[in-house]
Amino acid sequence: MSSVRLEVLWSPVHKDKFITWGTEISLYETSEKCGDIRRTDYVDLSETSSARLLATNSSYHYVKAVDIHPMEGSEILLAIGQANGKVSLTTFGPSNFDFLGINGMDMVPKHPRQCNVVSWCQNDPQLIAAGLDRYRSDHCVLVWDIQSRTGAAVVAEMGLSDMAHSLTWLPDHHKTLVVGMNNKLLKMIDLRDPSKAACSSQTKAVYGVTAAPYSNFMLASYLESQVSIWDIRAFEKPVLTLLQSKPITKILWCPTRNNLLGSLQRDTKSIYLHYIQQMEELDHSVVERSIRPGVSHQITSFSWHPLDENRLLAITLSGLVTDTYVSERITLNWAQSTSIVWTHGQRTLQSVSCTDSVYEMLGDISALMKLRATRGYGLQYEMEENGDLVDDENLKLIWRWLGATKRLSDEFNINLPTRHLGIRSVLGMDKTTPSSISTKSEAVLVPFNGAGSNCNAKVYRSDVRDKALKLCDWSFIHNLPQLLHAVESLQSQGEVTKAVAVAVFGLQLNTAIKLLSSSTSEHTTISMALSGYSNDNESVWRDACIASRLKLNDPYLRAVFAFLTADSDNYNSVLEEEEMAVTDRIAFALAYLSDSKLVEYLNKLTDQLTVDGNLAGLILTGMSSSALPLLQQYLDSTGDVQSVAIFTMKGFPPSLLESNRAQYWISSYRELLDMWRLWDHRAQFDIQHNARTSLKPEQQIYVTCSFCMKTLSSNAFSRNKGPFPRTKVSCCPNCRKPQPRCSICLINMGTPSQSDASNCNSNNGGMKINTFSSWYTWCQTCRHGGHSKHIIQWFEDHQECPVTGCTCRCLSLDATSFTV
Amino acid sequence: MFESHSVSTDHKDLIHDVAFDHYGRRMATCSSDQFIKVWEMDSDNSIDGGWKLSATWKAHSGSVWKVTWAHPEFGQVLASCSFDRTAAVWEEIVSEQNIYSQTGQKHWAKRTTLVDSRMSVMDIKFAPKSLGLLLATCSVDGIIRIYEAPDVMNLAQWTLQQEVPCKHQASCISWNPSYTRPEVPMLAVGSDEAAAAGSSRVVVLHYSSYVRRWHKLENVPSVADPVHDISFAPRLGRSYDILAIATRDIRLFSICQLVGSAGTSRFEVTPFATLEDHNSTVWRVSWNSVGNVLVSSGDDGSVRIWRLSKQTSWKCVGTIKSDGRRLLLPEVMNAASLTLAKH
Repeated sequence: MSSVRLEVLWSPVHKDKFITWGTEISLYETSEKCGDIRRTDYVDLSETSSARLLATNSSYHYVKAVDIHPMEGSEILLAIGQANGKVSLTTFGPSNFDFLGINGMDMVPKHPRQCNVVSWCQNDPQLIAAGLDRYRSDHCVLVWDIQSRTGAAVVAEMGLSDMAHSLTWLPDHHKTLVVGMNNKLLKMIDLRDPSKAACSSQTKAVYGVTAAPYSNFMLASYLESQVSIWDIRAFEKPVLTLLQSKPITKILWCPTRNNLLGSLQRDTKSIYLHYIQQMEELDHSVVERSIRPGVSHQITSFSWHPLDENRLLAITLSGLVTDTYVSERITLNWAQSTSIVWTHGQRTLQSVSCTDSVYEMLGDISALMKLRATRGYGLQYEMEENGDLVDDENLKLIWRWLGATKRLSDEFNINLPTRHLGIRSVLGMDKTTPSSISTKSEAVLVPFNGAGSNCNAKVYRSDVRDKALKLCDWSFIHNLPQLLHAVESLQSQGEVTKAVAVAVFGLQLNTAIKLLSSSTSEHTTISMALSGYSNDNESVWRDACIASRLKLNDPYLRAVFAFLTADSDNYNSVLEEEEMAVTDRIAFALAYLSDSKLVEYLNKLTDQLTVDGNLAGLILTGMSSSALPLLQQYLDSTGDVQSVAIFTMKGFPPSLLESNRAQYWISSYRELLDMWRLWDHRAQFDIQHNARTSLKPEQQIYVTCSFCMKTLSSNAFSRNKGPFPRTKVSCCPNCRKPQPRCSICLINMGTPSQSDASNCNSNNGGMKINTFSSWYTWCQTCRHGGHSKHIIQWFEDHQECPVTGCTCRCLSLDATSFTV
Repeated sequence: MFESHSVSTDHKDLIHDVAFDHYGRRMATCSSDQFIKVWEMDSDNSIDGGWKLSATWKAHSGSVWKVTWAHPEFGQVLASCSFDRTAAVWEEIVSEQNIYSQTGQKHWAKRTTLVDSRMSVMDIKFAPKSLGLLLATCSVDGIIRIYEAPDVMNLAQWTLQQEVPCKHQASCISWNPSYTRPEVPMLAVGSDEAAAAGSSRVVVLHYSSYVRRWHKLENVPSVADPVHDISFAPRLGRSYDILAIATRDIRLFSICQLVGSAGTSRFEVTPFATLEDHNSTVWRVSWNSVGNVLVSSGDDGSVRIWRLSKQTSWKCVGTIKSDGRRLLLPEVMNAASLTLAKH
């Protein structure tokens, strides 16, 4: 070890001061960085802290060991062990130690030799111990009292003609030292009887002996590349030996953490941390990791901050000091749709809950689904009302479509398993004939209004195409008054470009130009471009439009020019305008594509939308089996099991609804609703679901007489058909034995099963209207019970069963009682 | 200004695990100080992030590594595992005293101690409720143990269903959270053994209902670095399972179950994504309740949030420093985040 090796040490009592020493001793003060202000007298320690040099002391040469006096509230008092064995006390500048005559005090051993270690006693800060090299007839460990009447007096000396490599005070044992001696011995010495060792252990690991701050028994020491952990109750051999790859130069226990030892190896840029796991019966194990304080040079020394959790300073060969925070293993967890919690440091938890605005940023769709569920999403009988509860345009579209198809199928009285037909089924492109349309359509030449007298467009029409257009909300395209109405309403909604596209696709160029010229200035220029339309295939106008079309930002305007510049029947550039709504593209195809091309296009589009998981594809597939892969793809990419389950429940025909996949989605969503504790929503969802399947849930509870085991309710009902229903059945109608009594009011249980005449119209004639409060309830364990209202009342004030002598804790046995 | 809520737990040593119950309204923490603490969500209370301490007890005679909740169907039940080589099952009960007090004093009673392991038990997890009341533990001796409580009303009786030896010391375990019956139960186990180069640190087991045994999946891609946490994503309607592995970075595997004609299932495990932004050891991973957002913590002292976008690509949508004071949102994702926030 050369004398220029730099060391660093936090003051044990000052939160913001540390010293470094090599050839000279420097005192620094740290502070947190404030803002971006750079102060020249400060050196950076880390991103958040910097330090200022307060003082330098260069009056001591050959400094071998330094320790800072551990007394609270005092100035920094250094004990400096030197190469000639002298231990000097000094301060930086004037201090209260001057009056005590302590500052500048020298303690000199009888014979000069190197001082290896100095250490203040934590419990008794007037004691200081020094460990020295061997001298023939002198002791190697000297303990001074700096406040005795005669100045510094030796109170104990130990180890005659031995050599001390390291020593440490035991924190919880007064006046006890552990000394590493002679390359072969760790000795524990009680100052009250310094002549002999209290106990000792034969070992070569005599360097850097240090006592763990939180444990009364744990010690660590090292030799070359091996760290030994000791328990002083079993001092014969180390409880744990940690083998490292390189020779060790320093070990230190972390003062803010149980059993965490830091070690430094020669010529490395990392500090190694060893978490010693301890069990009561002397069983130990270790978890190790290494940290890099982020320096480019080799670290020569480090020091733990005495109070701040896991903070340490490291100093490099070049004298660079870095302030590092050793981040603990962060454990974390995500509570169901409510919050994320993680640990910070050792004992603090940090959480972000769903009420914080940040949580929304994370895009947890389950929180969004929960919000929608609480609004009653999916439970509204009118399809469109469900769409009103979400903000997503794609979902709204599907709800509108579901509503439209439902009305259509009611209107046309279509007798098909599914009421929500897709365009493919409407056109007759079902599975058996995917490549043809059932009804041939006829081509009609329609004059292009406003584009010259001899200008016509070829439009294809048939019954099924008209129906399909209706599904796309484009039924107006072949009807001029409706078309103009649609254009107006689009314009009033601010969708000018779409209105223009509608007008152009409806072959009303005049209307389109008028629309554009009355709009913003940018649109006015486009109206000029439009008005120059000519259907001449070779015209300059056409070439110019083709060239500049792609520079337009608006997909509808691009589509308009693509339409106007298209070669006779080739509308590919309109159909491939992907930013245009899917329904608009389909409607365009329905109007302008020949049968064979239409089929080809719709097949391609269906495949594309299925792969993308785009919900708009449902309009093509309908709620049929070909919608399954599309919905699955949508679910896989968004996680929106809610919408998928609700579409499935509302739209699928019973045969598909009972398929495995559909049931899997539905049960997943039910699980989610249960997890959110939205049991009412879950129950309503179940009711709607069961109403659509052929499976009816079986009756789950029967009330039987405990004597004759005949059911009570059916008998009661058979007699209750008259206009004056009996209000009470307090005895078994079969054997006439009384029913059990309520344990609170002691009245026989009866079912006041009055079928309420006012509610009892022809539709729901079987519905019983009983108040919940007079229902039976009983404990599954002790079988005692009574009217539910009485029982609930009882358990508000009591813990045990109301029946005398029964100590059953009925309510607390119930898992759901937690929520009552 | 972003700031997270802070809860000071009063644990005396490092917290190793935080667990939430099924509804996310109760929280359990465990620590090296050998204690378990249970917290209730108390939304009226703004101190401590809305969490109120309801119970604290010394649970083990060594560091408590993990704590986990059973499904509420089985009552208020916790399981914990520890360095002291045991695992324990705890149940909350109303205490015998204070019969006349308005609110019953509740406390946690130890129902059983599982002592089969010869070494530290590193992780413990309850099976999804559709499988019944099952527990899986893994320990440093590399043995995965599956326990079953045949009678769900009697938490004191657990039978050791099977012991599956793995080659390496195990560190973490995860069930695939199947909610419906037809899916084959699976267990993923990670190992943090530093030595033993060349072999994979992840083992996936699946349950064969014909022979009623757990078997190892053969074709799992190799993970060469120590694994610190492993977690199946909740499935909720998705067509495949996702397994997140916290190692030197985050690995995501997708697992498809292909049901063959004879009712036998085949598994296809394929690497799905590797998320490297931590640039250091990743300690923990956790999923949202749908399984399309992942949160992870790493040695760089930060918590990162990842979201699945466009079916297969994963993006980091937020980074929070562990002190909860700084939040970084990547610029690219801002637009997407804001559109979501609008809803």
